[in-house]
Amino acid sequence: MAELLQPDSRMCNYFFLYDGSKVRGEADPTRDGICYFFPEETPLDKQELLCGQLAGVGRCVSELSSSPTRTLRLRRNKFAIRMKDDFFWALGCSVDVPTVSVSEFLDQLIDLFCFYNGPVRRSYQLNSQETLAARWARYLSHLQSGSSELSHIFSCLRTIDSTNVDPLLLLKAALILQACQRCPLVLAGCILFRGRVVSTQMSPGLTMKVMVHESETYTKAQRPNGTSASSSFSGTVSSTTVFLTTPELQDLQSAPVDKGFSCPTTPQRDGPSKKTRLSRTLSDTPSTESQLSNPSSSQPPQKAYLSPRLSDLDVFSPAPSHSAANSLNPSPQSLRPSLSNGEHSVEDETEESRSRNSTGGRSQIHSEGDGSVFEEDSHLNGGEGEGAFGGVFDFQAVESGNEQPHDDKVVEEDSSVSCGSVSGHNAGKSDPPPLLPPPHRLSDASEENALIPMTLYMHRVKGLVLALLVEPHFMSDATSMEEVYHSSLASLNGLEAHLRTISPGAPGGPGPYTFAHFDCVQSTLTTNLSGRSGGAWDQPFVRATSLLHSHFCNTETLQEAIIRSASTAVYGTRSVAQETYFQQNGGSLRNSGIPNHQDSAFSLPSKARHRLLKHGVNLL
Amino acid sequence: MHGSELHGKKTNPNACGEVGFPAFEDSISTLFAPIIISFSTMLTEGDSYTSFTTENNHIYVLHQFDECLYIAVNGDGEEKEEDLRRKIYVMNKMIEVLFGMVTLSGNLLRKELRARDTEQRLRLWKHLQSLLETYSHLRENDQSFLVEAVERLIHPTLCEQCIEFLERRLVQQINSSAERGGEEVLHAFILVHTKLLAFYSSRNASTLSASDLLALIIMAQNMYPSNVDVDDPSPEDIDSTSGSGHESFYTPEPSPTDKDSSSSEKPVRGSTPVFEFVDPDIQMAEDSLSTLEVCPPDPATPHRVFLEVSQKDGLYPMMPHSMYCLPLWPGITLVLLTKFPHSGVAMSVYTFLEAFAKLEKRLNEGQGGSTRGQPMHEVRSKLDKFLKTLALNGIQSSQLQNVWTEFKNRAFSRGGPGFSRDLIPWCKNMKTQLCGIYRQCFLSDSGPDDTPRRLSPGLQERAQTMVQEKLMDWKDFLLVKSKRNITMDFPGLIHFICVDRSSGQMIAPSLSITERTTSELGKGPVAQYIKNKMWSLVSTTRHYLQKGYSTLTLRDGDFYFCYFLWFENETGFKLEAKDIPTMPDDSAPIGMLARDYYRKLLRYYSKNHPGEPVKCYELLTVHLGVIPTEIILQHCRQLASKLWEPSRNPLL
Repeated sequence: MAELLQPDSRMCNYFFLYDGSKVRGEADPTRDGICYFFPEETPLDKQELLCGQLAGVGRCVSELSSSPTRTLRLRRNKFAIRMKDDFFWALGCSVDVPTVSVSEFLDQLIDLFCFYNGPVRRSYQLNSQETLAARWARYLSHLQSGSSELSHIFSCLRTIDSTNVDPLLLLKAALILQACQRCPLVLAGCILFRGRVVSTQMSPGLTMKVMVHESETYTKAQRPNGTSASSSFSGTVSSTTVFLTTPELQDLQSAPVDKGFSCPTTPQRDGPSKKTRLSRTLSDTPSTESQLSNPSSSQPPQKAYLSPRLSDLDVFSPAPSHSAANSLNPSPQSLRPSLSNGEHSVEDETEESRSRNSTGGRSQIHSEGDGSVFEEDSHLNGGEGEGAFGGVFDFQAVESGNEQPHDDKVVEEDSSVSCGSVSGHNAGKSDPPPLLPPPHRLSDASEENALIPMTLYMHRVKGLVLALLVEPHFMSDATSMEEVYHSSLASLNGLEAHLRTISPGAPGGPGPYTFAHFDCVQSTLTTNLSGRSGGAWDQPFVRATSLLHSHFCNTETLQEAIIRSASTAVYGTRSVAQETYFQQNGGSLRNSGIPNHQDSAFSLPSKARHRLLKHGVNLL
Repeated sequence: MHGSELHGKKTNPNACGEVGFPAFEDSISTLFAPIIISFSTMLTEGDSYTSFTTENNHIYVLHQFDECLYIAVNGDGEEKEEDLRRKIYVMNKMIEVLFGMVTLSGNLLRKELRARDTEQRLRLWKHLQSLLETYSHLRENDQSFLVEAVERLIHPTLCEQCIEFLERRLVQQINSSAERGGEEVLHAFILVHTKLLAFYSSRNASTLSASDLLALIIMAQNMYPSNVDVDDPSPEDIDSTSGSGHESFYTPEPSPTDKDSSSSEKPVRGSTPVFEFVDPDIQMAEDSLSTLEVCPPDPATPHRVFLEVSQKDGLYPMMPHSMYCLPLWPGITLVLLTKFPHSGVAMSVYTFLEAFAKLEKRLNEGQGGSTRGQPMHEVRSKLDKFLKTLALNGIQSSQLQNVWTEFKNRAFSRGGPGFSRDLIPWCKNMKTQLCGIYRQCFLSDSGPDDTPRRLSPGLQERAQTMVQEKLMDWKDFLLVKSKRNITMDFPGLIHFICVDRSSGQMIAPSLSITERTTSELGKGPVAQYIKNKMWSLVSTTRHYLQKGYSTLTLRDGDFYFCYFLWFENETGFKLEAKDIPTMPDDSAPIGMLARDYYRKLLRYYSKNHPGEPVKCYELLTVHLGVIPTEIILQHCRQLASKLWEPSRNPLL
């Protein structure tokens, strides 16, 4: 966590929320309108000055142009502005930060607030200014924390360093998520490890939002009294109400996640007929690779104990995946005891919930699942290691629940808003803020801006978190909850154990080259830049990347560029899906200035193509 | 001018305009008042606004020169922040050329720009407005105003002949004539549209800077606009104006009957920019504020222009000259620049202004006491002498005399406060009075001796006829040549611009293609597309240059763009590259017209090459994207080495 504690102060020098409706009359002091001001230690008269002046000018400009103001630039600070209703947000940063990035940052911050608190006006009616100030501060520090200048430029997701992680683990994480999704009340999920994304089914934007709560519960978990989890789930499960925008919800409901095909092996079996990927997960690419490479490479030991485990499996997926995870352990001998120690209670509960389930309306799931398991079992026995994971999870391939029309959910949602008070189910749970959603759809928002309450469910296993966006009544549906809990517990334990042992890559000095590869679709950044080191050799690269990124953003037709000063040359190229930046380090640049084909800057494109192949970046 | 609106305003918004002045001026003041007030509030807090944007992509750019706050607004997306900022700087440059050192005194400049006589004020604003429109038009259509360097007509023999003619016949004859009214021709040049055919400077004249020459071309074009784009297949200036009106915030009232000869001759272009200055009380001796004529109705009366002069002891900005613009044929103009008597006063005034500004700065920094105003003792005796000279020449200087006496009492007398902060207001006062003297000498209609200071109309007419006779046979050739200056012979190369920044000159194939002359680009949309690309490329390269990148290649759509900036010594030997300084986004625009960025760059670079003249070049090229990069680079190299060969005759 220590890595998360170094804010990059350049991104945010000032942030404030000003409520113009509080300052209508001539006599109303400006301070009445200040809802939140960062840095909080700023003297009040300075706060009033900035809020008053910027809000005044912002309003004047928006009246002149009949359109909300977007940026106000000063000589030394650049402010991204948002104006909505009577609220006025301003985020001020150094003028060097690209305008695109500041604007994006402010959007993220406001979205984050709405995600956890609902509409702003309503939040301020329901909560004290102090409570909400603490939240703004938290969101702000979260967004600023831990990431390098580069990640600010691209506003990217923080992911685990996939180059250091066995692709199988990523696959495993994706499978856990898919398993959870079989519960019709689960919309989508993601798995995070120590503040970084391991796998996600959600859009980058949503994932980013979910991560705030993760880091928060993590911090709380570190403190003795902080946990707010349900007692019945060993203090590791918590939930909170969150608010999705209509597009976000529609996106989730119409996502290509087909619960009936929640098996990663399916695409291979079905070949081209499969229309889309199962879900948007980080592990998609690596998992494919791993699947391809598994049979030939280091995987054989798995099978040895996968099969035995599978044979005594019941219908629940956690056990096989759990065993699969542990199968990566070097010593099979030590595995058994540790497992039984850890899992007995779980299995008991599993039994319990299963019996309950069987009386419920979804028993067919299990029968379906059973069939699948057998299928896969034989498939496994056929000796294909790659099937080990996918297969087991295929047990409910034709789960009827997934066919449930999504409209139902929307309808349900109305009646289930009151489930915001889900804590009724888990008496001990107090983690959600004392905010109770009103019994109606939040009316102060216009239709397209409507925020729909949902629940964020989190299951923590030490540094690892399974975060699921679930229908609000999920938390009161003991059956579903237990099913999800138990179906994932063992796998999560296993995954955590493995991720924990992975040592972070050595920071290292300047290599022969520096690169940054941004995946625009998944919003992830791959780079060999040494993160927070802020080394002198990084700065020119970061500066050039920032300029080029802005240029790419503003010029649709631009495909590639080389920019060069006397001392630096950086090559940038982009396609619809990615942006890549490359700089050759060491050795002085030759023949700069006058046009010269021997200028080393012009060899950058071919060098980049060549060098980046081994990082999985294909520029051909 | 693409629906943008440039709004100049004094920072004191309280004292508002007079009764009877057009009402929209007042409503503009009201609309912008919150911004203007907030600007000064933030400025006192140590930071100030540079630009605003809105969700519907309106752009506002703000910049303050001394006490003048300029606000430029664009609402149709045709101009970027950088374009608006440049426009503000150019406007400021034009005001400096027109008013000289009067711009150094906020009070006096305010008097000039907001004359009490509404009629006169309107005339001045019409003139400024039309200069800005002319500039905008050139900036959008003329490559030399795109890159801000003077384009020469490439015809070495004719050029030589003309220079010889200007020297031996024209200038000699005028300067030895009794009708020259005490003036002396320093520079004479012939313009074919905006291109320079021949330029002659007399031996005792200093070099005319590229910045001033470009400003003078704008003025000449404003007086005698070329109709060069009438037969242009893509008159985008007309297109854009039709769409621009509804995007701006107000519709200017129809202008009153135009008495200004200079602007009545030119077609109306673009939406009308509006200027307004609000006039607070001015503490100034009324004796020096007689009514001024900025744009005299009599065409024989020259324009007073204030240009930079370099002397052995340094640069003197804003020295008074007269500019005579003599039309030869439509599109071809002879320009004469003269110096007139008493211009020595301007140099003295500048020296004193500088001395008081320096003193004020020292006092502000609290160093006054330590130096005891040492350099001021020298100033003291010089200023005493200067006052005597003024009196001898019949220049009213009693106010200056009074303030100077008071200053001396405070600064130099034993019992007085000496060189302390208390002296700061007196420094300011002295500067205002000095500017007043300058204004009295060089901006008012008649000189101190009440003789009309100009070449006699007959002499002007004779000069005009002489050059007409000389160029009669060449006239048509020149007009065609100016549209197809050079051609290219590199397969795959679509266009290029090469600029010699040391001399402020550029070469490029023509982009304005008419029915009669077709270039490699053909006609119509393709040429228009390339033109747009070229314009945006120049703005891109400036952005990167501002951030320290002097080489740039871009693959954009089906094209490949290159940009190079490099240094050479006089013999054409390439000098080693050196990192160039990076500047903030809101710094002065890169170019040569308003602020000469390249002069600074050369000075910066020359620090490593003392005593050696350094040259700076730029090359921009557009190639087809399918051409291999090696070939493209080879073309660039050939262009770079060929274009500026000693013969100055491009081998293309």
